[in-house]
Amino acid sequence: MDNSNSFENIFKKLGDLKDFFVYGQKLIPILHKILDFMHDTVPLLENVNRSIQDSTSKIPKAAMQINSITNANEIATTEILDIVDGMSMDIANMQTKLESLKNKLGEDEELNAVISTIEKINAGMLNITISLQVQDITSQQLSSVNHLIQSIQEKLAALLIEFKDKEISELPAAEYHFPKDSTFNADARYDKSNSSQKLADSLVEETLNKATQSEIDKLFKKL
Amino acid sequence: MALKFLVVDDSVTMRRIVANSLKTIGHDLYVEAGDGREALAKLTADDSINFVITDWNMPEVSGLELVKAIRSNEKFGTIPILMVTTRGLKEDIIEALAAKVNNYVVKPFTPQILKEKIEQIISGSTE
Repeated sequence: MDNSNSFENIFKKLGDLKDFFVYGQKLIPILHKILDFMHDTVPLLENVNRSIQDSTSKIPKAAMQINSITNANEIATTEILDIVDGMSMDIANMQTKLESLKNKLGEDEELNAVISTIEKINAGMLNITISLQVQDITSQQLSSVNHLIQSIQEKLAALLIEFKDKEISELPAAEYHFPKDSTFNADARYDKSNSSQKLADSLVEETLNKATQSEIDKLFKKL
Repeated sequence: MALKFLVVDDSVTMRRIVANSLKTIGHDLYVEAGDGREALAKLTADDSINFVITDWNMPEVSGLELVKAIRSNEKFGTIPILMVTTRGLKEDIIEALAAKVNNYVVKPFTPQILKEKIEQIISGSTE
């Protein structure tokens, strides 16, 4: 009786084993497909990894180039300001001399035309100075771009650490120090439309009016 | 009384442009500072400074921090302050006004705007 039970058990186990092999045979093509997929995907992932590593190592160079653009712009702007200042002084001297000449010669149409032209040139010089504010605005925009680049570098570095356990400090050109957040305004715009100034004026006026009202309230309290 | 300005900006270009604009509108007296920390040192050392023109975005001590530091100072807490900045958003302007700047100029500015704001502050404080 015991023997017949044991054989039944063995046949049952063999049946299970057969089922397992049958199931296994069905699984084999799927496993092949998975292996093929992995075979295709691993080089792709390695490519992605290499690409991320490559991009990450290039980022500090890009940031340094942006920084050198900012510095070059500042130097060029200073040079333009030096020239404009020099020319403005020359114009001021010329204006003084022309005025003295006018006093000596009296009213002269040609002299008046020259004085008027020089006044126009002087106004133009002032406009150049005003336009040079673009340097400060663009340098803030570039700092903002550098900040964005820093964020991308950090994200890519985190990905690299996950891929290869490779830290960003090991990468070749990661020596650039990014500027602090507080030194730039990401929303800086070279906008001569005056819309922001009008908004500021209305808010200043509103604040001053509020202050006046609070002063009135204080006065009433005293009474 | 002649005005002596403290022009605070981390950009050398902007300091020169503000200084040139001040000269254009008839103000020749000014000193410069590259950030809020330097500005506070100059204010402490020089009693003759009676007007501050400051940028907002600066390293070390920002313009807004400078305004707050000035307003909480017993010695020069009432000095007129004009903020000249690229920050033109409503919340920025409100934040600066809450910190008690006297007026606000958005870059790019003209000497005329600078003159107008300085005159508004002076007339307001002398009324």
